[in-house]
Amino acid sequence: MTRYLIRRLGHALLLLWGVATLLFILLQAAPGEFFTEMKLNPQISAETIAGLRTQYGLDQPLPVRYIRWMGSVAKGEFGYSFAYNIPVATLLWPRIRNTLMLTVPALIISWFLAVPLGVLAASRKGKWPDRVFSAGTSTLLALPDLLIALLFLLLALRSGIFPVGGMSSTAQEEGWWKSALDTIWHMALPVAALVVGSLPILLRHVRASMVEVLNSSYMRAAQGHGLFRNSLLYRYALRAAANPLISLFGLSLAGLLSVSLLVEVVMSWPGLGPLLIEAILSRDLFVVIAAVVFSTIFLVVGNLLADVLLYTFDPRIRMQ
Amino acid sequence: MLFSRKIPFWVLLVGFVSGLAGQDTAPQDLLRATGEPGKPGGRLVFAERSEPKTLNPVTAVDRPSRDVIRCMIGDLIHINRYTQKTESALAKSWTMSKDGKRFTLQLRRGIRFSDGQPFDADDVVFSFKVYLDEKVHSPQRDLLLISDQPIAVEKLDTYAVRFTFPAPYAAAERVFDSLAILPRHLLEKDYNEGKINQTWNLNITPEKIAGLGPFRLKQFVPGERLVLERNPYYWKIDTKGQKLPYLDELAFLFVPSQDAEAIRFQAGDTQMISGLSAENFAVLSKEQQSRNYKLQDAGPGLEFNFLFFNLNDDIESRLPQVARHQKWFRDVRFRRAVSLAIDRAAIVRLVYQGHGAALASQVAPGNKLWINSALPVPQHSVAEARQLLQSAGFSWNKDGGLMDREGMPVEFSILVTSSNAQRQKMAVLVQDDLKQLGMKVSVAAMEFRSTLDRILQSHDYDATLMGAADTDADPNPEMPVMMSNGTNHVWHLGEKKPATPWEAEIDQLMQKQLITMDHQQRKKLFDRVQEIVAQELPIVCLASPNILVGAREGLGNFRPAVIENYVLWNVDELFWRASGGIR
Amino acid sequence: MKKTRRLSLALWCLAGIYLSVICAGFVAPYSFEVQDRLHPFVPPAKIHFFDSSGKFHLRPFVYAVRSSDENPMEYQEDHATRYPIAFFTRGDEYQLLGVFHSQRHLLGVNGPVRIYLLGSDGFGRDQLSRLLYGGRISLLAGLLAAIFSVTLGLLLGSIAGFYGGRLDDLIMRVADLFIVVPWFYLLVAIRAVLPLQMEPAATFLLVIVVIGVVGWGRPGRLVRGVVLSARERNYVLAARGFGASGNYLLRRHILPSTWGVVLTQMAVLIPQFILAEVVLSFLGLGIGEPVPSWGNMLAYAQQYHVLVSYWWMLLPGLAPIPVFFAYHVLADSLHARLQSVS
Repeated sequence: MTRYLIRRLGHALLLLWGVATLLFILLQAAPGEFFTEMKLNPQISAETIAGLRTQYGLDQPLPVRYIRWMGSVAKGEFGYSFAYNIPVATLLWPRIRNTLMLTVPALIISWFLAVPLGVLAASRKGKWPDRVFSAGTSTLLALPDLLIALLFLLLALRSGIFPVGGMSSTAQEEGWWKSALDTIWHMALPVAALVVGSLPILLRHVRASMVEVLNSSYMRAAQGHGLFRNSLLYRYALRAAANPLISLFGLSLAGLLSVSLLVEVVMSWPGLGPLLIEAILSRDLFVVIAAVVFSTIFLVVGNLLADVLLYTFDPRIRMQ
Repeated sequence: MLFSRKIPFWVLLVGFVSGLAGQDTAPQDLLRATGEPGKPGGRLVFAERSEPKTLNPVTAVDRPSRDVIRCMIGDLIHINRYTQKTESALAKSWTMSKDGKRFTLQLRRGIRFSDGQPFDADDVVFSFKVYLDEKVHSPQRDLLLISDQPIAVEKLDTYAVRFTFPAPYAAAERVFDSLAILPRHLLEKDYNEGKINQTWNLNITPEKIAGLGPFRLKQFVPGERLVLERNPYYWKIDTKGQKLPYLDELAFLFVPSQDAEAIRFQAGDTQMISGLSAENFAVLSKEQQSRNYKLQDAGPGLEFNFLFFNLNDDIESRLPQVARHQKWFRDVRFRRAVSLAIDRAAIVRLVYQGHGAALASQVAPGNKLWINSALPVPQHSVAEARQLLQSAGFSWNKDGGLMDREGMPVEFSILVTSSNAQRQKMAVLVQDDLKQLGMKVSVAAMEFRSTLDRILQSHDYDATLMGAADTDADPNPEMPVMMSNGTNHVWHLGEKKPATPWEAEIDQLMQKQLITMDHQQRKKLFDRVQEIVAQELPIVCLASPNILVGAREGLGNFRPAVIENYVLWNVDELFWRASGGIR
Repeated sequence: MKKTRRLSLALWCLAGIYLSVICAGFVAPYSFEVQDRLHPFVPPAKIHFFDSSGKFHLRPFVYAVRSSDENPMEYQEDHATRYPIAFFTRGDEYQLLGVFHSQRHLLGVNGPVRIYLLGSDGFGRDQLSRLLYGGRISLLAGLLAAIFSVTLGLLLGSIAGFYGGRLDDLIMRVADLFIVVPWFYLLVAIRAVLPLQMEPAATFLLVIVVIGVVGWGRPGRLVRGVVLSARERNYVLAARGFGASGNYLLRRHILPSTWGVVLTQMAVLIPQFILAEVVLSFLGLGIGEPVPSWGNMLAYAQQYHVLVSYWWMLLPGLAPIPVFFAYHVLADSLHARLQSVS
């Protein structure tokens, strides 16, 4: 087991390095750079822009900048943001924490809803709960995330029950308990939007896997033997159907930093979303690369967890 | 004993008074504001589209940073955004020498920074030293260059400075607007160590930052909000003698989406909104009564949207297809036909929902001091356009498609950025208008920096639709755009000498108005420039949006201006009529 | 049998949608690009059977709408003239299947007035027509991209899962790379290389293929997990013992266990790729104006003022729902059939 983990760690580092390098190259290939916008401003001269580019090292050839960046990574700074002029790491930590505050609860809630609902739909295949879920998921799949978030925002405005965005009320500093409640109250709608966005896919997969298992002969045999329905479903069928779901769970973990970008922008949640989208559009290189590197870490952890769970849950898979 | 020698009473009195003069209660040169007197208290929340990148006036370029910084700094001479004229700020009076080169300013006395430290000429000299330092690469340096020579500054005495201009400069006063006076006592050390670009970034704490503006930093929560509190040392009072600003707190919320900004204003999270799109303005107008706010159309602003063709010289060999199209673009009759065919009234109606104005030249109606009102708005006549094209040698094939002299169909693309919905709409309208002339136009919408790269770098485009907003009414900041060798002469970059006689004329006129002192004469010169632009059409000006703003009921002194920053320019005079603020 | 009925219903539904979209020129009352600048954002026309005096007419009719100068965005019906809905009316010219020129449309209104059955957009263009024309690109593109993604994922995922070991590691790490890298910059770079004036359909399809190819990571990983499990089943081991080749094993025994995942992924990816066009049009890789597609129409609809004031602009978002539902039923039935076969 340890050897396996070490091997995976080695792969992970290789992947991280590969992702960062690929991004470096891609960013170079895309036209335009951070200071292009400044060129449009008639009140900033070309000399100033050239001077700023030199200051940030943008006039150096690509390999030199790459090596300088790796040095900065080693120091834990991950380069400097062109826009903010502070180390990228200090910029990203609070944002990543805020994003996880949304995506982790959303992940837990979606899975907790998707599994029983999917099992229900599969066991009552063809009957009205199944039809309702099919229609519902078809509808939700057609709606883009941005629209869902905007609809929730409108709901907040009309009902007045929930705050219309942000992470905290602009009131004075309050006690620990009160500000925690306030944050949860602000989290409600963004998390709901994320759950609504991700539930259809999970639901469909759970249902499809369960249907496949429920139709198989050994299931019918077990039913014939008189096992109770619930225990049949959850203790036997679900375990057999778990394989793609475990891989899917790993992928859900991988997306913890990326699923909520648009929702955060619409709901003014101070997470990675607004920062990253602006950085991507304005070509703030090191912010983008660092954010992707962190996303990759989540991906690696997610996949590793999924693989370990696969081997644990499915006795048919033997480790090579 | 003290009184044995019978010291006269008046000596004691003088001594007493001079003793008082050395303390804080020394007479100050306060500026008396002219707004309606209000009452102190309350907080105001305003949304910014993204968070400020820095609080350092030396390096700040982006709009949110500048908005916040402007509330925290003081400048020597300020441009009143409402009247568009200069007024005294930290400099209480000034004189210009006869040759127009030496500019002497008397500073207000007894003023303090927001941390209590006194302000004097040393701070002014230090600030300009930082701005002018080439190694700092501050964008403010370019504002202080006249004909590529820097302005020089020297201290005359504790409260007087003199600026020497390398050449007489007509708008000398306007140069100083928004150039923050930096606190020498906080920044000199960083400057000497070469670290001034890294200070006052977002990991700053309030006690390390100070300014001469109405507010000072209280709290910054990354990604969420920035809170400013009243500067107790602010040097302005109202007509009743009360100290400004009235507001206790000014908070900036970061709301990245324009729609979310409108929704939050409706919900009451923010109490002031500016930069509303025409569509959101219409939506918000419906609920003015029920949600207790008032919207206002402040009239035409300074933004102008224009279409221009690629007239660059360097693409013959690189981009043969674009070069072929340039044959048409270079003919002024072609450009005039395009201008005649465009239905500007439809643009104002459909894109701005009536809250806008059609343009004759690049000067928008909001610029009351400089617009050439004699210039008529171009008419919309497809028939005349077709006549012009015919006289230029174009003809139509049997399907109605336009062909040039050599029989090539007239097809080209209009580049536009996808992040601006209004300009995209304009491009679609122009596309349909030009279809009436038989031109086959495609709209190439692209991500912003890609479009900039094509326009500024590779010159790989046919035509493009852009917008620009002047930050000041004066034509001088636009020199790099209008001059034929200017770095922002975007439709024809890299001209070594003017390509046409009228371009040479524009060059001469712009150079002349730069050094002419009298406003009337300058205006005559600039009027002629606008005339030439309207006739020769290096750019086809389309329309300009009105400034649409809103505020909660009960906000006193709310007088939106049409120049940046629209509603925050008099934030020191804003007050709440009823009991202060919300939440 | 109920199952076959559901399946054939779904198939007929899909066929109907695809047919009307292919013959959009005929089915739609107008062209997708003709602007009516005096009638922006007209709400969907009310169909009347009773006129203003209470008289009943067998043929449904509509009224013209006018707006006043003070409120240019508010429309009132002009009860002066009735315009009955007619079939095979003359209207804007179009090309059916790229070959036939015609001016006849399935339904419309005879007369100078335009009828907006599903409302008009900001340029006064008929939304119903644009919806039908828009379906062409979106339906085809979504399907194509999903096929690419899932096929590649199936291929690589099965190889990874079946052969295991170093090959599995390699393929999975490459899949990770494809999942995590934001392809935004690749797309921007592609746009920079493509010419400014593009034949809309061809380049768009090219881009969709690129998106599809790039998206193989997730299906690949899911397939690989299933294959890892299926590989060790008793019957597989038995077949291997009998000397069956890798190919045969993959085809005959392993692949069937992947159907569930594959079909679900297809049903889930088709909507995602149709929506991906929203991002593509932002980058300039979508269909250019004035050609409509559900993606770029929906991109416009995702705004506050549209949701509040112009609800009919959201219909491009709702139009695909029956399509997705039909695909879901199709996938379901196929799954059941394939399972019963294996």
